[in-house]
Amino acid sequence: MKKLILVLSFNLIIGFSYAQTLISGIIKDNKSKLLPGVSISIKNSYDGTSSDSTGKFTFKSFEKGEQWLVFSAIGFGFDSTKIVLDGQLIQLSLTLKEQLNELNAVVISAGTFEASDTKKGVVLNSLDVATTAGAEADVFAALQTLPGTQPAASENGLFVRGGAASETNTYFDGMLIKNPFNTQVPEQASRGRFSPFLFKGTTFSAGGYSAVYGQALSSALILESKDLPAKTVSDISLMTVGAGFNQDIRFKNSSLSIGGNYINLKPALSVFKQQTDWVNEPTSAGGTIQYKWKTSNTGMFKSYVEYSKSDLSLNTNNLDSQTKNPFSNGNHNFYSNLSYQDYIGSNWKINTAFSASNNQDNGLININQYGRTDRLAQAKATATRYIGTLSTLKIGTDWLNSNREESWDGLKRDYNDNLNSAYAEGDIFLSQNLVARVGLRGEYSSYLGAANVAPRLSLAYKTGKFSQLSFAYGEFFQNPEDQYLVQSKQLDFQKATHYMANFQKIGSGQTFRVEAYYKKYADLVKTNPTFNNNGFGYAKGVDLFWRDKKTFKGVDYWVSYSYLDTKRDFQNYPTLATPHFGAKHCLNIVYKQFFSKLKSYVGATYSVASGRPFNNPNAVEFMNERTKTFQNLSVNVSYLTRVFGNYTVLYTSVSNLPGFRNEFGYRYSQNGNNRQAIEPPALRNVFVGLFITIGDDTYKN
Amino acid sequence: MKTKITTTIAIAFIFIATLVKAQDEKYIAAMKTGMQLFSTAKSGADFTAASNHFERVAGIAKTEWLPFYYAAYTQMINGTTLQDANQKDLVYDKALELIGKAEVLNPAESEIAALKGYITFMKIYVDPMTRMQSGMGEAMASLQKAKALNPENPRPYFIIAQNQFYTPEAYGGGKKVAKPSLETAAAKFEAFKADGFAPSWGKDQNQALLEQCK
Repeated sequence: MKKLILVLSFNLIIGFSYAQTLISGIIKDNKSKLLPGVSISIKNSYDGTSSDSTGKFTFKSFEKGEQWLVFSAIGFGFDSTKIVLDGQLIQLSLTLKEQLNELNAVVISAGTFEASDTKKGVVLNSLDVATTAGAEADVFAALQTLPGTQPAASENGLFVRGGAASETNTYFDGMLIKNPFNTQVPEQASRGRFSPFLFKGTTFSAGGYSAVYGQALSSALILESKDLPAKTVSDISLMTVGAGFNQDIRFKNSSLSIGGNYINLKPALSVFKQQTDWVNEPTSAGGTIQYKWKTSNTGMFKSYVEYSKSDLSLNTNNLDSQTKNPFSNGNHNFYSNLSYQDYIGSNWKINTAFSASNNQDNGLININQYGRTDRLAQAKATATRYIGTLSTLKIGTDWLNSNREESWDGLKRDYNDNLNSAYAEGDIFLSQNLVARVGLRGEYSSYLGAANVAPRLSLAYKTGKFSQLSFAYGEFFQNPEDQYLVQSKQLDFQKATHYMANFQKIGSGQTFRVEAYYKKYADLVKTNPTFNNNGFGYAKGVDLFWRDKKTFKGVDYWVSYSYLDTKRDFQNYPTLATPHFGAKHCLNIVYKQFFSKLKSYVGATYSVASGRPFNNPNAVEFMNERTKTFQNLSVNVSYLTRVFGNYTVLYTSVSNLPGFRNEFGYRYSQNGNNRQAIEPPALRNVFVGLFITIGDDTYKN
Repeated sequence: MKTKITTTIAIAFIFIATLVKAQDEKYIAAMKTGMQLFSTAKSGADFTAASNHFERVAGIAKTEWLPFYYAAYTQMINGTTLQDANQKDLVYDKALELIGKAEVLNPAESEIAALKGYITFMKIYVDPMTRMQSGMGEAMASLQKAKALNPENPRPYFIIAQNQFYTPEAYGGGKKVAKPSLETAAAKFEAFKADGFAPSWGKDQNQALLEQCK
């Protein structure tokens, strides 16, 4: 019993505890800035406090002896130090290092415009792409409002910094898309095949892009598809050009989406006078199936399959005989993409993908039957190793099989190429403010019987809280275009070398960028006197971009300007000259405003570009004439409403509202006596669409 | 001999009981201090201090979910006092991390799911134009889970109603839509009883919004 009393009194003493120690001090970051809000405490005890607005702290502890003092703050990580508590006042001066994180670290920005819904510090997001006036939700048209690109309404593709359209390639979840556009109609640009709403991220690189991508001399457009849709919904679209539907079905860890559309341009094209002499206006029908499966917390499998069919026919003017020449096209397009990604352990990530496509064109040019089939298969695997907080090392390999068959009145020719590539690239953060990306890509083409090795290097240095400088250098190789490969086996890779310097400042709601570049072309394909790789050229210029969401409330606008000086000797050129896609000055102003009272989103895009070069066969000098200045003002209005309780958008757009008369060049008769301006198919275009989402019950219950 | 063993066991029990009681008392005292810091907090720094305090408590009282819950809640309020979008993001990410730790301790707690949905909403509002589409589903799923786990918990109803209230009419929100939801939440607040440190917030805010709907 005595013992029991003894123990009990001992327990009471524990309750009373020891003498207390006062701990006080000051806490700063590694730049000697006083830190408020830092949590400071004795490890494994309740004793602690937070630093005040001047970085000072004071607290008492009843703990005794040697203890760990731990301290941490948001954005600054965690640190600790050993102290001895013996009742004597403890004075401390602590430092906490700012943590490396995506928000404050430097990013590689030279050449790159990134549009993302998830990442920080990007210039655009997918909604921006979809709502740019004049683009009608076409990714490629929207990108034509960014610096470095040219307005192109008479041919497919993106003309980037003095590069031909074929020098820009498009990638879907890392995989090359052979036919990203609907079939080219004579002297008209076709829309891209893919809806911007399929993608959560769009990276548009005007040069100096990653070694993970190859086969593009000028520019890479990298599209990253969305993850699982949030819920089961149906989308219906009714447009002046046709109708479409999409059904998303969401399961617990997977989703299935099925979509279809029918497009017929006849009604829309009969409203306004058309330059084009249509026989059968374009019609198309297509469908998509997507299945996405979240295989684990970090793993994701995605599949996308699309098929579409389109038909059109028209007459073109034969300038020599002054008669009409018929042209028709029937197109079948199949595209599929499978991808899987996951983390292995905490340091490795793998991305694997497979894609296959088949694109067939058949029709009539004048009295001749033509046929064209493009087949592409690609398999790619990349492993990424994470080192420290931000640095990464990537290695990967890529197999690309391209095959083309052409026929002309029963005559056939084809080519088949296996391109094997390997690449390695490191993003090395030398500090929070300095990053280097060092990459190397090697390719071997079986058809060309040639190999290339392409080094890439980018550096970015953070000069202030919001500003940074970037430099990039890289060598880029691309196979000659299919139309040349089918005709000659004697060709080699074409080559471009990029140098660029970029300054960027991204504050809250405002972005400023300026970039200067020099691009050197070598080994371009020439068709005279025989097929050879003796072409060459250069492009240099300055791109400016300013975006402001802050100054005017509810208003978002951006201004882009490009200056371009380019000359090249390629294809059938007799000499070095500025190509038709080499307009010297291009300016775009994109304006967007939401009027909440009217429930309307209004946008306008104004573009102006100096005249394009064209060749007058009667002139002494080659490619020495210029078209008149190009101007376009397009507007759109999206009205948000409900139809039978379903979320609905009524969208109207008018392109070239003031009716500027534009020309993109001239077509001459063989003898040079007659010419015809290449003009947009219509002076103005009007588009009206009703987009209804059914099953979005966010606010029911 | 037998008495000796009995005595030893008795002593051991008393000793453990005293220790546990001491721990318990320390926990209760620490929670009270935290609630005191919270109720008197005015500035972002005050809410940070309260959050830091709750996080420390959570580090010791390893089986209690409430310290993490309040650490997350006060950190979220801290986020609302900030202006800079990057800072807001860092703070809401921290709040999400804290509520995530509470969820690990008690995955079936309605209050945790409700707060998780709330913080997700706050994160969307840092950049609604870009985050609305991708984030709404996640936030709503968490709030629906909170309702399913405890249909009597008024807070998920209040959080959804509040979000409706502040969403522009054009996007399917507005006072008209929010009013019946706020009324439902008000009825649930009337019936709800919280004891100890259990969450009890939201009633006044709900009433204030309801007043504005009249």
